[in-house]
Amino acid sequence: MTLLELDDLKTYYRTEDGWVQAADGINLELDENETLGLVGESGSGKTTVAKSLIKLLPDNAEIVDGEIRYKGADLTDLSMREIRNRIRWKEISMVPQNAMNGFDPVYTVGNQIVEAIQVHEPETSDAEAWGRARDLFDELGLDEDRVDDYPHQFSGGMAQRAMIALALAVKPSLILADEPTTALDVVIQDRILRTIEELQDEFDTAMIMITHDMSVVSESCDTIAVMYGGRLVEYADADTIIKNPRHPYTLGLRNAFPDITADDQELISIPGTPPDVVDPDEGCRFAPRCPFAEEECWEETPEPREFDDGHIVECHRADEAPLLREEAARKETWQQVAETEEPAQSPAGGASDD
Amino acid sequence: MEPSLGDGGDLTVAELDRNAETLDATDQASARSRLIESGKRTGSMLVDVFRDDRMGQAGLAILLVFALTGLFAPLVVPHEPTEINRGDDGTTLRLDAPSAEHPLGTTNMGRDVLSQLMVGARVSLIVGFLAAFMAVTIGVNVGLISGYYGGWVDDLLMRITDIAYGLPFLPFVIVLVFLMGPSLLSIIIVIALLLWRSTARVIRSQVLSHKQRPYVESAQAVGASNLRIMYRHILPNVLPLAFLYGAFSVAWAVIAEASIAFLGFGDPAMMSWGQMLFEAYTADAIRFAWWWVVPPGVSIMIMVMSVFFIGRTLERVTNPELRHAE
Amino acid sequence: MGLREYIVRRIFQLLVTYWAFLTIIFVLFRVAPGDPTSMFVMDGLTGEQREREIARLGLDQPLHVQYVEYITQLLSGNFGTSFRYSEPVWDVLVVKFWNTILLMGTALIVAYILGITFGALLGWYRGKKVEKVGIVAGLVARSSPEFWTGIVLLSIFAFWLGWFPSGGMRSVGAEIGSFGERYFSADFVYHMVLPVLAGAIYYMATPLLLMRNTMMDILKADFIEVKKAEGLPERRILYRHAARNSILPIVTVAAIVSGTAIGGSLIIETVFNWPGMGREMIESVTYNDYPMAMGTFFLMGSVVIFMNFIADLAYVYLDPRVQYD
Repeated sequence: MTLLELDDLKTYYRTEDGWVQAADGINLELDENETLGLVGESGSGKTTVAKSLIKLLPDNAEIVDGEIRYKGADLTDLSMREIRNRIRWKEISMVPQNAMNGFDPVYTVGNQIVEAIQVHEPETSDAEAWGRARDLFDELGLDEDRVDDYPHQFSGGMAQRAMIALALAVKPSLILADEPTTALDVVIQDRILRTIEELQDEFDTAMIMITHDMSVVSESCDTIAVMYGGRLVEYADADTIIKNPRHPYTLGLRNAFPDITADDQELISIPGTPPDVVDPDEGCRFAPRCPFAEEECWEETPEPREFDDGHIVECHRADEAPLLREEAARKETWQQVAETEEPAQSPAGGASDD
Repeated sequence: MEPSLGDGGDLTVAELDRNAETLDATDQASARSRLIESGKRTGSMLVDVFRDDRMGQAGLAILLVFALTGLFAPLVVPHEPTEINRGDDGTTLRLDAPSAEHPLGTTNMGRDVLSQLMVGARVSLIVGFLAAFMAVTIGVNVGLISGYYGGWVDDLLMRITDIAYGLPFLPFVIVLVFLMGPSLLSIIIVIALLLWRSTARVIRSQVLSHKQRPYVESAQAVGASNLRIMYRHILPNVLPLAFLYGAFSVAWAVIAEASIAFLGFGDPAMMSWGQMLFEAYTADAIRFAWWWVVPPGVSIMIMVMSVFFIGRTLERVTNPELRHAE
Repeated sequence: MGLREYIVRRIFQLLVTYWAFLTIIFVLFRVAPGDPTSMFVMDGLTGEQREREIARLGLDQPLHVQYVEYITQLLSGNFGTSFRYSEPVWDVLVVKFWNTILLMGTALIVAYILGITFGALLGWYRGKKVEKVGIVAGLVARSSPEFWTGIVLLSIFAFWLGWFPSGGMRSVGAEIGSFGERYFSADFVYHMVLPVLAGAIYYMATPLLLMRNTMMDILKADFIEVKKAEGLPERRILYRHAARNSILPIVTVAAIVSGTAIGGSLIIETVFNWPGMGREMIESVTYNDYPMAMGTFFLMGSVVIFMNFIADLAYVYLDPRVQYD
């Protein structure tokens, strides 16, 4: 059943120079208990999309258009108060990038879990709330007694687990996980991802995993949405994105991260930096960094096109995918962009969301 | 010794670290050019920051007006500040309300308030700047040595700083001024004798963070002497902070001098604002002679405020984040 | 290093500081002036009386003997006899000490409550008009020496409006009874309002501006965003999380501010004719009453050193991350 549906969501930031189109016309769907990977470099707008759901945006941000349908209701219609009381944590909770900094340093972790429980379920007694905090710790493979520890007494991996416990405290239907494992080493990263998957089934929770790391999403996501410069450039089930990507940016991202199963894979990064999306001109936003950009790409903004079975791609040359895939695997293809493009099109700073 | 946070220093230290970060762009440059460069950098940064900060400009302007007043007061005062003015009938003009002849009226002794006010600016300025300069000089050196050498040197200097913090400022100053005699010089020295403590602490914590940086390590590696590293390499980086504390020190010194004078321990040979208020208060004039009370009080307030305004502007140099934020 | 060891160490440091402080007093009052005898022996005595008095006070002894004697005397609470009152200094000061502590303590508490509350609000509402007004008000308060604030308050509330008395600690003819009656009467509180206000306005500025700055930093921390995402009410985030974290540096400066306040008693008590240590000190210095001046200085310094110590301990209690190294 559909839990969440974004319909043409546009979240912009007001700046002195104009509107930063941090999320521009995003269409997404998420079923209950499903995991969506939201992938892109920093500044691509992925965090903005996630934070729009719970209106956790800076003062100068505005959801200028679109709908966020969650369990049938449009979240953009709700007041801040309703969002705070009914949606935040109760329905949609969050795991921040660096769990250690996500806890208030002057209270014990248990205290903060209990606080979240009692704010949303005021009738819960202290004893009951503490009991639940201990159970959650147990569930996440942490020693129950550590609820009485302060955040700084945890290691990075344990803090992340404790943070997940906090996120599950009032049984939300959706968790927004913002780079939940980037601060950790690979082994612990892997274990935590597995724990998340197990708990998701157990708690019946959907998840949006925000990351720049293709290898993370390929392992744990059902569907993947790739964002670039505030646009959703490619969107399909995980398998398709990994095996048959069609957008040059996705191809580039895939190159930048190693596939653990393949030997001798050469890492190729995408030259250049994310675009400045203050009142952008017509044309594909990726064109300045795209090795396959043609005249059309500079002049006309591509429309999203659907390929077989819900595979959405926003690229003029998406139907030439097999050729692009072959070319993109070669390092020279990307180097050539770096050489020709850098001097002409000096890249400006990224959007302001990360 | 001091309690410190697990993640490296208490909050203020963390804050200072961050400030220091931005001043660090030229780690690789040679010592000499570093010094010149950072001097220039600080200079141009100051100009830049003051250019788009109206509060800071106002502070500078006010201070300039006071400085000019103090400088030229003896030449332009309408009356001799100690002169006893007499009315047309020959009687002393006691507590005369403001008039064309005496724009701010007269005191109970028949002295011209405006003239006293103008002359009084000098004491505040002299004491404020000299005491602050001495205090910051001591504070910066103590902070540098303490932070750089660490170990027992640090221990010793910080205990001395603790002791300085244990002495109640005003009582200490009063006792010392009394023992040394109430001259302008002794007031300046005594104020500086305690005022250095805050500068020392804050400079020390910044030096501690700089000690860890690559430029210090590479200077050590090429065999630069400790003295050289301290004064050539580290000092330029903590200079903006020293300026900031210099501004605060001026403010505290002006307030301290006024307080000393108000309590009757000022230099009797030099009219100051605090002394004017002391005389007005002892003459019980605050009930009826507002013209004698308000001008010196407001002057002290405005002078101190102008220094704080300048301090706020300097704070943006040491903490660039504030620059964008406000 | 554990908590206990840390505290032991702090106590040791306290003792060292205290010893240094006592030595400074000794140097100031006995060694620095050319002829120490002139300070501790009243004028107007005959040569023989004078000699006897000097011998009685031990001022003819070598300096190091005097030093030891002085320390033991001070620590046993014997500050000598006041010239002006012809009474033991301690007896005169005990009452005045509490008068001062009550006045300045109240002023400090008021200053801290107001400073922290308003400072937290200013940090929370940064960039709004309220903040600008608050900052300017804070700067004005900090730029006005206590005697000026006091004079302004006196002019307005005592002389002009006549709402409060212009000075003193109790009305003429008021009964002085027990400790409780002395300090917990309406008359006492009534007399205390203006001097407390004068002090509070001045001391408020430091916690206010510091609180605001720290709040601004803390509000940028990740955990504040998490608390918002948790759906906690704004007020709860403001006070229970942001303000609570911002209080740490405020605690550190509390010792410094209370030091300023102890010194400020000299001024506030002079302006408001408050019969406390501060005014006593001014008078004793003016009238060459050295034993009394020394006694007041000793007591004031003791309070400041003690407050520094308390602030350090409070810090440990308030911040679980403190490492005792």
